[in-house]
Amino acid sequence: MLDATGNAFALLFSGDAALWHIVWVSIKTSLLGLMLAAPPAVLLGYLIAMHRFPGRRIAVWLAQAALSLPTVLIGLLLYLMLSRRGPMGGLEWLFSQPGIVLGQMIIGLPVLLAFTLAAVQALDARHAETAIAHGAAPLRVMLTVLHEARYGVMAAVISGFGRVISEVGCALMVGGNIEGQTRTITTAIALETSKGEFAQGIALGIVLVTLALLMNGVLVLLQGEAHNPGARL
Amino acid sequence: MSVALPALLTVHRLRKAYGERLLFDIERLDLERGAAYVLTGANGTGKSTLLRMLGGLERCAACQVEFEGQRLPLYPYPKQLRHGIVYVHQHPIMFSTSVGHNIAYGLLARGVPRRAVRALVEEAMMWAGVTHLRDNDPARLSGGEKQRVALARARVVNPRLLLLDEPTANLDGEAREQVIALIPTLVESGASVVLACHDRDLINLPGVRRLKLREGQLEVR
Repeated sequence: MLDATGNAFALLFSGDAALWHIVWVSIKTSLLGLMLAAPPAVLLGYLIAMHRFPGRRIAVWLAQAALSLPTVLIGLLLYLMLSRRGPMGGLEWLFSQPGIVLGQMIIGLPVLLAFTLAAVQALDARHAETAIAHGAAPLRVMLTVLHEARYGVMAAVISGFGRVISEVGCALMVGGNIEGQTRTITTAIALETSKGEFAQGIALGIVLVTLALLMNGVLVLLQGEAHNPGARL
Repeated sequence: MSVALPALLTVHRLRKAYGERLLFDIERLDLERGAAYVLTGANGTGKSTLLRMLGGLERCAACQVEFEGQRLPLYPYPKQLRHGIVYVHQHPIMFSTSVGHNIAYGLLARGVPRRAVRALVEEAMMWAGVTHLRDNDPARLSGGEKQRVALARARVVNPRLLLLDEPTANLDGEAREQVIALIPTLVESGASVVLACHDRDLINLPGVRRLKLREGQLEVR
């Protein structure tokens, strides 16, 4: 294991093109998926948190339940949708990066939605009321509330990123783990480990952990600023 | 002899109930232009709720209002009321920007050009005596400072009607006196003001009319 770890570090610092391409594919598909998921998820999270309507509790329950959906199940459903005979077969997204992005978007959406909902619900209702009472139209009220809940929304985005970049089931089924095209960090770790090639798996694992530490470090820094804010206009 | 001022706001069927419990059922409420009212009543009689309904923060499906001669519903809260009436909480909350931006909020919401916003904010800060707090973090203001910033934030948009919910509650000494001193100048600027309060010094301000909520009815004194 020590040898494999040493080889992993050597691989990382040697600038191995194949390894860094895998990292790039992972980051790119995760960020794109998240960027597509964020607008509808944040909007839905805000609307569910701020409005009382019939079926609201069911909507909250579904949003929270979706957090625990196995990614491999999402992968299976997407596989069926994107396969040649599926309703979205014409897109030819199976075993392609757009297919992975679609999967990441579906996986990230409930995380962003549930965290945004929780962040907005936790905010003092007087923020929205003050905005309304000072003449803000609904869109400005929403932007004000999301600004006040921004650290919670950022936590939602970072948690969503953590969820999509670390999932393996969907990326494997929809992407197909094709070298140089759809191989991601997690699918590569699964493959290399199954072949007994631990060095690349460990190297990619180190990248994954580093990314997680960096993202959460940014969040901690921002939250620290929230607890000790400076003057801003 | 008192001369009746022209009507600013007339509300019909102002009613609030929580399930079986009726909070108030007011057939008609008339507020005149440029007049100040204190709304008194025991705790739990619905003073805050009444102000919140007028401010568009509580539903009142059956209410009809006439605002500056225009017949409007109270719910959904129409734009004319949203831009003409400002409600201030008992404990005002500040947005996590700066004091200056907080005061500018209503102006920006109304699409006032930024250059004009700066001048109006400056004038409002001088009026409230908070100019020195312009760039401060609003979270670090004292209760009295927050209340004065909230009054400046409300006044700067030049509302037709200001609804102040217990503006001196939990304030004492100089902070309370500073807030009380601002109230008559609000009325002088042309706004009608309704103050929900228990504070004798506010109730006894000269020229202030008295409204009292008792057993679900509004007594005009």
